[in-house]
Amino acid sequence: MPEIIKNSKDLARITKAFNDKAKKFSYTINFCYGAGCISSDGTSVKETLESELARLGIADKVKINLTGCMGMCDKGPMMIVNPGNVLYCKLDSKKVKEIAKKHIANGDVLEKYCYIDEKTNKAIPDMNQIEFYKKQKKIVLKNCGRIDFNSLEEYIANDGYLAAEKVICSMTPDEAIDMILKSGLRGRGGGGFPTGLKWKNARNSKGDEKYVICNADEGDPGAFMDRSLIEGDPHLVMEGMLIAGYCIGANKGIVYVRAEYPLAIERLKTAKVKAREAGLLGSNIFNKGFDFDIEVRIGAGAFVCGEETALINSVEGKRGEPKQKPPYPSEKGLFGKPTIINNVETFGNIAPIILNGPEWFASVGTKDSTGTKIFALAGDINNTGIIEVPMGISLGEIIYDIGGGVPNDKPFKVAQTGGPSGGCITKEYLNVPIDYDSLKDLGAIMGSGGLVCMDDDTCMVDVARYFMEFVQDESCGKCVACRLGTKRMLEILERITLGQGRHGDIAELEQLGEVIKDTALCGLGQTAPNPVLSTLRYFRHEYEQHIEDKYCAAGVCSEMFVAPCSNACPAGVNVPGYVALVANGRIKDAYDLIRQENPFPAICGDVCTHPCESKCRRAQIDESIAIADIKKYVAEQMLNSDQPARNIVFPKNGKKVAIIGAGPSGLTCGYYLARLGYDVDILEEQNVAGGVLAFGIPQYRLPKEILKKEIDSIRQVGVNIKLNTEVGLDVDFKELKEKYDAIYIATGTQLSRMVGIEGEDLQGVYHGLDFLRDINLGRKVKIGKKVAVIGGGNTAIDAARVAMRMDADEVHILYRREIADMPADKREIIDAIEEGIQIHELVLPEKIIGNENGEVAAITCSRMELKGFDANGRRKPVLVKDSGFSLDVDMIIPAVSQYSDLPFVRKDEVELSSFGTFVVDTKNNMTSINGVFAGGDVVRGSDVVITAIADGKKAASAIDRFLGGSGELNKGESIDIPMDFEEYEVVEHERFPMRILDPEKRKDNFAEVKQGYHRLNAMAEAMRCLRCDRRA
Amino acid sequence: MTVRLSEDKMYETLSAVISDYNASEENLIQVLHMAQVIFGCIPLNVQKFIAKEMQMPFSKVSGVVSFYSFFSTQPKGKYTISVCLGTACYVRGGKKVLEKIKEITGIEVGETSEDKLFSLQVMRCIGACGLAPAILVNEKVYKQLNPTKVEQVLNLYKTGGMADA
Repeated sequence: MPEIIKNSKDLARITKAFNDKAKKFSYTINFCYGAGCISSDGTSVKETLESELARLGIADKVKINLTGCMGMCDKGPMMIVNPGNVLYCKLDSKKVKEIAKKHIANGDVLEKYCYIDEKTNKAIPDMNQIEFYKKQKKIVLKNCGRIDFNSLEEYIANDGYLAAEKVICSMTPDEAIDMILKSGLRGRGGGGFPTGLKWKNARNSKGDEKYVICNADEGDPGAFMDRSLIEGDPHLVMEGMLIAGYCIGANKGIVYVRAEYPLAIERLKTAKVKAREAGLLGSNIFNKGFDFDIEVRIGAGAFVCGEETALINSVEGKRGEPKQKPPYPSEKGLFGKPTIINNVETFGNIAPIILNGPEWFASVGTKDSTGTKIFALAGDINNTGIIEVPMGISLGEIIYDIGGGVPNDKPFKVAQTGGPSGGCITKEYLNVPIDYDSLKDLGAIMGSGGLVCMDDDTCMVDVARYFMEFVQDESCGKCVACRLGTKRMLEILERITLGQGRHGDIAELEQLGEVIKDTALCGLGQTAPNPVLSTLRYFRHEYEQHIEDKYCAAGVCSEMFVAPCSNACPAGVNVPGYVALVANGRIKDAYDLIRQENPFPAICGDVCTHPCESKCRRAQIDESIAIADIKKYVAEQMLNSDQPARNIVFPKNGKKVAIIGAGPSGLTCGYYLARLGYDVDILEEQNVAGGVLAFGIPQYRLPKEILKKEIDSIRQVGVNIKLNTEVGLDVDFKELKEKYDAIYIATGTQLSRMVGIEGEDLQGVYHGLDFLRDINLGRKVKIGKKVAVIGGGNTAIDAARVAMRMDADEVHILYRREIADMPADKREIIDAIEEGIQIHELVLPEKIIGNENGEVAAITCSRMELKGFDANGRRKPVLVKDSGFSLDVDMIIPAVSQYSDLPFVRKDEVELSSFGTFVVDTKNNMTSINGVFAGGDVVRGSDVVITAIADGKKAASAIDRFLGGSGELNKGESIDIPMDFEEYEVVEHERFPMRILDPEKRKDNFAEVKQGYHRLNAMAEAMRCLRCDRRA
Repeated sequence: MTVRLSEDKMYETLSAVISDYNASEENLIQVLHMAQVIFGCIPLNVQKFIAKEMQMPFSKVSGVVSFYSFFSTQPKGKYTISVCLGTACYVRGGKKVLEKIKEITGIEVGETSEDKLFSLQVMRCIGACGLAPAILVNEKVYKQLNPTKVEQVLNLYKTGGMADA
């Protein structure tokens, strides 16, 4: 098309010619030629497609467009077949051949190669029906992925250069600037300065020459919006620059683009040549005497050049160091002339605003942040890629609806925007609308559009260190604040992550941060402390944990732990150690090693929530190690062999400690104290020891014999357990304080919380923990035929499964969220469903209906739906109006939560939280009464066994220190752990199976469900361990 | 590998580039990009040549070269060895493999061997966790290495057995 385009008629003629030609094809295939798809071998797949079409003799019926990025970069290579908007993804040569044969030649859509929705597992052929695209709004990216980026005709046929024609032929510069002003468009590079105002200033500046610069020096790690736009629709960016040139009176535009983007540079240069040939660049554009040309300048790898004054220096061929502002570039910019610098995306918005009007543009987004924003989604998110969303959309919608949530159902922790200049947005703020001002309020920034999602395995101190390392590396060195300040900050962060943090480091970080913010010369320096200040604002406790406790909860800062699994274990059991011993067949040593840190290997093998497994690195390859199952195997072998455990007990030291409550926490504390030589009496009000283990956990999960054997091993070291002894009734608390040198209270939480609905006093309402206790203690309990359990925790699941094993015909669980949100152990939930228990999700019980005898007859409920997000980042259940229904039942077991009761302590004597739990010193678990310690659920509220054990151990050490000891526990002889690693290959292999009792065989009795490992499988499973404890 | 020009020819080409850019200061970065393409890197002699041809102080040219990370004053080796130290590779002994490579080549991370055969760099997860520990030599992935195996791999390149892989 070497003819010169002079006016709108020419544009219309080209559009018509293009459309007429397009009609001749029966199919148009848009093949994604974005950088992501090309690096997943898109080019050869496209060539296969072409040759296959030629082989089938239908090449002339099909138009293949090479298009820009379609957004879902991890699903590439991909293509869209029109008509039908059918999206095929993860293509390879074999697939495209089949698609050519069946779909293109025969018209059969091949659903198996289309996008598969992960939730429903169904194929979604129509691109517009995919969740990822549904909530997006494409203004800037409207051509991206839809048109051939190399075709000027196709760009024109999609209203291209129409806006430029309108402005240059029929508007004055002031009128055009006015439109931009009215649209409310703000700079998309991150700062959010009103674009119209910038242009107006540059227009008013006097100068014989002026410049338009497009900033495509996109340097934030994790950001690739600008690249995608230039690669997918280069003419749109150039048209925006052309209009800008006309408005401010510039004849020259410069695109400053990173050297790392060769594809963008190439496509931009091609587009430039074509536009010039058509007279859309050059002199006398649209015959109106306006001259404008564009030059592409390639950067050379300096992050600071994203700062406008540094960028100007770089374009001038100098070192990219920033300059003092003012003067601003709009007065004195490139070569001292008035210059505007806008981001790629900002220019992409210009033509749509001119064509559709400022009112239309302002109707999208929020009042002060109009239009849309492009984000690059990266990190721990299912759908990584490029999206364009209306301003004001919530972060939760971006992450869960468009992004598809966090992989492996890990909890979302934080999103980071704005790269090294930005900050973080935590899960509490998933409902906050994303716009310039609300992000600023949260201490984050819009930035250029990088949005990195992070899950629970992320350490925020390490994130801050990472960004500081980046900025320090990129600091240009011109001003002291940035050059030295960031270096000092980095040093402090590094030592904190190495476990060498010092008292006062946090204050120093804050002080340095404020100074750098106030005194650095340019934007890079002024914003450099942001990631640190922002993480300090929301995750100060993580810094404190690193410094004070030398503990990294996320399991990232590896200098501070043996292995991530051990680090995740509240009791600090040496997991890789005992797993290695099992692999070597040294079962007794494995048992003794576990018991160094945890006196209940068998119990934990059965009921522990195994936080260790959630941090297992093997999961990155295939599946985490079955740590709890291996432990169960070890413990069973030892308990069944009746070999004595190695328990060295120190000579008596003459000091006495009383422990109230013989649950896991009290027993653990007693065990370690007795081994140190203390006289320990444990007072238990029930007629059986074990606390919640004895009466709260059903037999089929934890057999009584196992429990008894492990409690006997506590007695063996000399702990005296006094049953049927209630403090406050049988002994006075005051008396205890006089008789003993220290007291540990571990009474747990035994009282069931009411649901708070009408009818809870009817006959047939039995609270979860009471129900489990009465069954376990062998009391007579009348079981209904049709039972409803309310709740989603372990107590609810236990109660339901127990009811099923007794006389109930039908058991229903009513839960107000989704099954995936249930706090109960995932395996227990599956077991329950297998046993025929019906779980009703998203149901809110409202009223229990009684019959004439005052017995439960039914329960009325309403349906819930998930809307928005709560403070924990979970979807919030909201009542669906008029969705009430009723379920006929004759027994109801509410199991929502428990609380503690401390009748023996006067409320004015000790400090309690509003939940009725003890307030203790976090360092030593001492209550506000000198010498009285507390731990487990009575401090934490309802929690799990392993934390109770950890508290008992911590209290034992604290009590020893309190009574003049060193606090070092007697854990017995050290056990050597095999470190002879054979260099064997890691082959992907899922877990080795453990025997599980068949649902049909187990659902009407209390036989243990988990039958345990066979020796070979236990050893094989142990050999899957990657041995993270070894360091090369 | 592309055919290497003789040194005279390289300077001649660079001279032509400079006059294409009117020897003007604002085009220095673009000239340096071309120089790096021609010479493979921008050593001091080339910087001096550019300074002379463009009539600007050598310090200015050198200042720009050292400022931007894209420009290198040292040539890259024929083969760039990238050792993955991502989590999986790290725990499977990636560091031992790295130590062995350093020993064989006699270079540290970021350096190039004297015979210009190898450059060494470290990467964070190349996405081959199931193949850990892994390294890349140019674009080729070598999986499940140990110190013995890595020596065999590097010997292939040393003896030319993997010419222009």
